[in-house]
Amino acid sequence: MRRSVLALGASIVMIAGACTSGSTPAPSTGGTTSAAPGGSAEASGASAAPSADLSAITGTAKLSGWQSSDAENKALQDTVTAFQAAYPNVKVDYKVITGDYPTVMATNFASKNVPDLFYVDASFGQPWADQGFLEPLDDYFTKYGFDTSAFFPGYLAPFKGSDGKTYGLPKDGNTIGMAYNTAEVQTAPTSLADLVTAATALKGKDGLKAPICLNPGLDRGLAFIYAQGGSIVSDDGKTNQVDTPQTKAAVQWYLDLFKNGIGMTASDMGDDWCGTSLGKKHAAIAFEGGWLDPAMSSTYPNVKYAWGQIPTGSSGSPVTISYTAAYSIGADSKDKDQAWVLLQFLAGKDGMTKWTSGGVALPSRTDVPTPTGKDILVAQAQFAKPGSGFMKGYGDVQKAFQDAFTKEIQDKTYNADSVIAATKTAVDAALAS
Amino acid sequence: MTIASARDRRVSTGIGQRSEALAAYAFIAIPMLLFLVLNIGSILYALFISVFQWNIRSGAGAFIGIANYQNVFKDPIFIRAIQNSVYYAIVWVPLTMAVGLFLAVLVNQKLRGRTFFRAAFYFPAIASSAAVTVLWIFLAQPDGLFNGIRGALGLNPIFQLFGFAPNQNWIGDSHTALNSVILLNAWTTSGTFMLFYLASLQTIPGEVYEAAAIDGAGSWQMFWRITFPLLKPGHYFVATVAVIGALQLFDQARIAGGTTGDPANALMSVVLYLYNLAFFKFDFDRAAAVGLILFAIILTLTLIQRRLFGSAPSW
Amino acid sequence: MTGTDRSPMPGGATPGGTVAGVTTLRSGDALAGAAPVVRRVGDTGAHWRRRIAYAVMIAYGILMFVPFAWSVITSFKTQADSVNLSVIPQPVTTEGWTYLFERLDPSLLRLFANSFGIALTVTLSNLVLASLAGYAFARLRFPGREALFLIVLATLMIPDQLRLVPVYLLLNLIGLTRGPLEYLGVVLVMAVMGTNVFLMRQYFLSIPRDIEEAARIDGAGFFTTFWRVMLPLATPALSAVAILQFQGTWNAFFWPLVLLERQYFTIPIALTFFRTEFQTNWPPLMAMVVLATIPILILYVFFQRYFVEGIAASGVKG
Repeated sequence: MRRSVLALGASIVMIAGACTSGSTPAPSTGGTTSAAPGGSAEASGASAAPSADLSAITGTAKLSGWQSSDAENKALQDTVTAFQAAYPNVKVDYKVITGDYPTVMATNFASKNVPDLFYVDASFGQPWADQGFLEPLDDYFTKYGFDTSAFFPGYLAPFKGSDGKTYGLPKDGNTIGMAYNTAEVQTAPTSLADLVTAATALKGKDGLKAPICLNPGLDRGLAFIYAQGGSIVSDDGKTNQVDTPQTKAAVQWYLDLFKNGIGMTASDMGDDWCGTSLGKKHAAIAFEGGWLDPAMSSTYPNVKYAWGQIPTGSSGSPVTISYTAAYSIGADSKDKDQAWVLLQFLAGKDGMTKWTSGGVALPSRTDVPTPTGKDILVAQAQFAKPGSGFMKGYGDVQKAFQDAFTKEIQDKTYNADSVIAATKTAVDAALAS
Repeated sequence: MTIASARDRRVSTGIGQRSEALAAYAFIAIPMLLFLVLNIGSILYALFISVFQWNIRSGAGAFIGIANYQNVFKDPIFIRAIQNSVYYAIVWVPLTMAVGLFLAVLVNQKLRGRTFFRAAFYFPAIASSAAVTVLWIFLAQPDGLFNGIRGALGLNPIFQLFGFAPNQNWIGDSHTALNSVILLNAWTTSGTFMLFYLASLQTIPGEVYEAAAIDGAGSWQMFWRITFPLLKPGHYFVATVAVIGALQLFDQARIAGGTTGDPANALMSVVLYLYNLAFFKFDFDRAAAVGLILFAIILTLTLIQRRLFGSAPSW
Repeated sequence: MTGTDRSPMPGGATPGGTVAGVTTLRSGDALAGAAPVVRRVGDTGAHWRRRIAYAVMIAYGILMFVPFAWSVITSFKTQADSVNLSVIPQPVTTEGWTYLFERLDPSLLRLFANSFGIALTVTLSNLVLASLAGYAFARLRFPGREALFLIVLATLMIPDQLRLVPVYLLLNLIGLTRGPLEYLGVVLVMAVMGTNVFLMRQYFLSIPRDIEEAARIDGAGFFTTFWRVMLPLATPALSAVAILQFQGTWNAFFWPLVLLERQYFTIPIALTFFRTEFQTNWPPLMAMVVLATIPILILYVFFQRYFVEGIAASGVKG
């Protein structure tokens, strides 16, 4: 899945940084999506108050993660500095992992030589939990009175193991929103019908190669399937729901965007991703997350654009998909208590406020102030469903969908049947394994 | 190759065979130790874990025998990976060898600017494959330099004959992706093969050519009758290394197509399949089986090549 | 090149009708002109051939430099300009270069030192170990030779991706995955490459046997024969190993990446610092590509002259 998104940073890979959201070979299911609109958004606000117990813990916590920019590095350093001020007894030993993150982590897991606290992408949450790499956190929640209800439920869901325990706390999150060039689109379309109308009017205008840049895969397409009442699997992650009329209609609708010249892939526009298409004015609308902003401001500072919610479809309610990554404690960590002290700060209200104020990440908690300019992306987290990590073997499903979908576009046949069939087979295989 | 086959005829030096063997073992001791531990050891490790349900952290689970080997052949994507890798080897190896040899013969002549040409032809091999691949992707984009140049030169009608649009997406289109990677790697690796051949050419005594020239042989004849056959140890080396390398295609496929061999499995190589299985699906036992299957394929091909290139001693 | 070999040449008496008339190697000129095309001056056809050859070579040579030239140009662009296909940077800026010198962590100097240290060690170790083993496999007779050589070949057939976990576990076991010892881990993994043993063996195989036998008749031992007679003859192959291994190590990505921590990183890994999933900081990346290429270019130009001299210059001339 070349351009699917891992939380805010994603593993940086070799020089090309071709991205990868892994797939999930977990031996059992669980980790359902829970995206009840409204959820617990206004709930509790109780950030984990540092208890007396925490300050008694001393030592060092080794922290590792990927890192995607200098700005992100600085934000993390600042956050760690804030932690050291609040908890001087626990020293943080931070190491960036470069290259394919899961590959490097695999050597760590194998040698039982793991960081105490490390990033886990949502797509790896359940598989790593089920393979025993991660430490369950429930006991810590009880012992130290840590309240998880402050997290947006869609961000927390991917880190539940098959046993129902929680194995990670989302360090931040991102939702897929609609970025539109304000010179071409004055007001954001709010329904899919409006979107098609607005885009149709833009066809052939101002040198646009297509009005909308679209990914030919579920990494964005899933949002539109949800918007039209379809889905891939049932909410408990156990039943194949690919061949429902709603899903099929949604996929056909998505294909028709290509058929009617309203949408085009970034690749067909000659771009590496839709951010480039928006920046080069090859397209006026793109569906991306918060990672778009730094890329646009550094490379295409003159292109003015704004964010809108994913337009609502026939389901009638607002919906989108989200990506996230968590902090988890290694099962083989030798300093788990120290790791917990760090974790409850980083994923707590104060730590996350500091972290997200750096401008590179959006909060995964409801009680953290929204960074400027990110209102829509943060607001969408209330109703967003996980874009990865909600079923096992989703990577293979994504690949099957994307390959079939791309073929329909290349062959100019635009028929959803083959896409549905290929995806259904992949979902069946994933559920059976 | 006659020179090589002469090697077993030895002049007796009065030193016993035993001391020769001892000397030989001393010569190879350190390399062989490293090979056995770091390479053959890995094969044994893979062999071991491939017959278990293996968890990378906790070790062996249930014994499953050859189930991994059977299951992997049921995966159409694995079959596709084998096909891709074999196709890649069949096209890339002869192409790159031919270009490499051609360049070596060219720059082996006494020419003005020989130093420059030797540097120039080797140049693409210098940069890291990662950097070169990124650059190549950049140039081969629909809007990239390559399409721009062929448009400017008026070559588009010719490309049209082969079904390529003016804005062909060479690496993004599943029909042209693998061939594009073949060209890319032929371009970079031919410089390396030139280097091998250049070293090999030095072992051909000049007198051989002089004798042939007196006989009135033309340069074309001399190449085919003298140079080419005398390069046999060189051919064998280059061909073997090339086939082994080709079947382990990874870097370029990984960079151009991600870990899933996009577009549409066009760039899914066997090693990429293994890598994806091991490190993105954490299915280490099956990945080990894939690695061993690949190892067996390459070993078989190498032994066949050894046969093709003549009698045993010259390998 | 030391001219240590004073062994008498058995005058043309190569047994078995082989083509190797070793005694005739007196003329360096003949050897350097091994390919006859241009030597046959006076032939008008040759003139034309030469011109065509030049035209082809110049065109091909330029083609080879295009990407490098593009890297140089891009390194002087701004990030916003770097995505354009224009040849002249608008405006010309050295920001990309300043970034390299001022903002890298670890510093540029450290990265180069790391790369040089590892590449130099690995190259030397390969030169020594591969030529020793290559010679033994080519010339010495010992029980198990064929089987052991098959093992050498087999090492080439194992993908690194398959070896990663077991090799890491082993290095971890002997303590080479922590601190500065990580350098040693990387060096150990690359200390001798099967390709180099293979290359040296093939080269030794193709050196006429008479030379060596003469030395042995003089009573030289195995090591002396290898060191004073055969090794000097193998200059072109040693040069090839030196160039290829230095370059291979210099550009190595996989092992350094998984075995080293950040302060020990090498240059190819640093190339990833400029690339994130959604954005590539092209100017400093391209500047880094240029910087990373230069040492190998120098090395190559330096070593490649030894290809010309070959056997003729390495002592046989006497």
